[in-house]
Amino acid sequence: MPFTSMAAALAATAEPTVEDPGGIWGTLAGWAEAFIGTFQEGGNFFTALFTGILPTLLVLLTAVNALIRWIGHDKIDKLGEMAARPGIQYYPVRYLVLPVLSVFFLTNPMAYTMGRFLPEKYKPAFYDSAVSYVHPITGIFPHANPGELFVYLGIAAGITQLGLGLGDLALRYLFVGMIVILLRGIVTEFITLHMMGRRMNQSETEEAAA
Amino acid sequence: MSTNTTTSTNGGGAMAGFNKLLVVIGRSVGGVVGTLYQAGRDSVDTIIRNILPFMAFIAVIVGIINKTGIGDALAHLIEPLAGSLPGLLAISVFCAIPVLSPLLGPGAVIAQIVGVLLGTRIGAGDIDPQYALPALFAINPQVGCDFIPVGLALGEAEPETVEIGVPAVLISRLITGPTAVVIAWLASFGLYSNA
Repeated sequence: MPFTSMAAALAATAEPTVEDPGGIWGTLAGWAEAFIGTFQEGGNFFTALFTGILPTLLVLLTAVNALIRWIGHDKIDKLGEMAARPGIQYYPVRYLVLPVLSVFFLTNPMAYTMGRFLPEKYKPAFYDSAVSYVHPITGIFPHANPGELFVYLGIAAGITQLGLGLGDLALRYLFVGMIVILLRGIVTEFITLHMMGRRMNQSETEEAAA
Repeated sequence: MSTNTTTSTNGGGAMAGFNKLLVVIGRSVGGVVGTLYQAGRDSVDTIIRNILPFMAFIAVIVGIINKTGIGDALAHLIEPLAGSLPGLLAISVFCAIPVLSPLLGPGAVIAQIVGVLLGTRIGAGDIDPQYALPALFAINPQVGCDFIPVGLALGEAEPETVEIGVPAVLISRLITGPTAVVIAWLASFGLYSNA
């Protein structure tokens, strides 16, 4: 298919007097060009991504992976135990420090395993908080969630196209993400506790009725 | 080496120390190189398994969207929404609706496509670059909503916790989704604006 279209293009440049084929054949040829053009457009986009993103990403991934290997996963286990404590001063540990470090070191989806250190009532809130950080972190640390980079990269591509720097956006994304996951953890914990309380009351009244 | 071993009988302390140093250096350099090599291998693996397939997928979608004009139609639909705070709030509420959010979640595919679409509009100058930050949060309140039971199971949660956790997270998103957009909007002042 590409060869025929190329040949057609060559013929057109060589003999500009040749008319476009009309009738059914012309329609079919138009479709063929549109068909292959779609994939050429896609191919150009792929090349832009491949040369624009991959080299830096590969080097960055290697560096961070090595760093994680040196530090070791087990170091943050202790933090998990600390985050399980009740009390308002542990909110930032539970829904800010622990999720951020888990996502950084364990990456998506293994980060959620850190929930095992927490009591049952905190687990949904911790999950909510951790999973909400797997995108904000990709602005600067794409190793944490390499399968879902394009939420950020898609929008970032537009900024690059305007000739603006990405550092500002990436940093703000990172920090706003931290505020959001802390808030999300607190709100979800509140809702979970409320629902657990109601469930408890229900089962008590059912037992009393029986 | 052989001279070392013969002299080690009289001047042994110093030579043994030197040997030990060599072993330590050799071992740690080997460790560093090995770790870096393994890290590189992991990275290439990640790129081949996770990143390249998604790039191919996105490239096909973008090719179709750009060539057929669906992109322009979609963009005209999204543009008025993405270029203003109320519009972004509307997008985030829509994505956070408890029935829809688990459907929109898987693989963040929809968020990524919308992200690419918005990116092209920002690049074309149709949307103010300042809105890039709130838009990132507006298209993403459904993050992980498809994955709650699995995520909780990874955290070794009891079945009762999962039963409560799923609705708790979904309902929480309805509150925190739009709130996140507002926070991001407030934080976006001074971003890419010289005024």
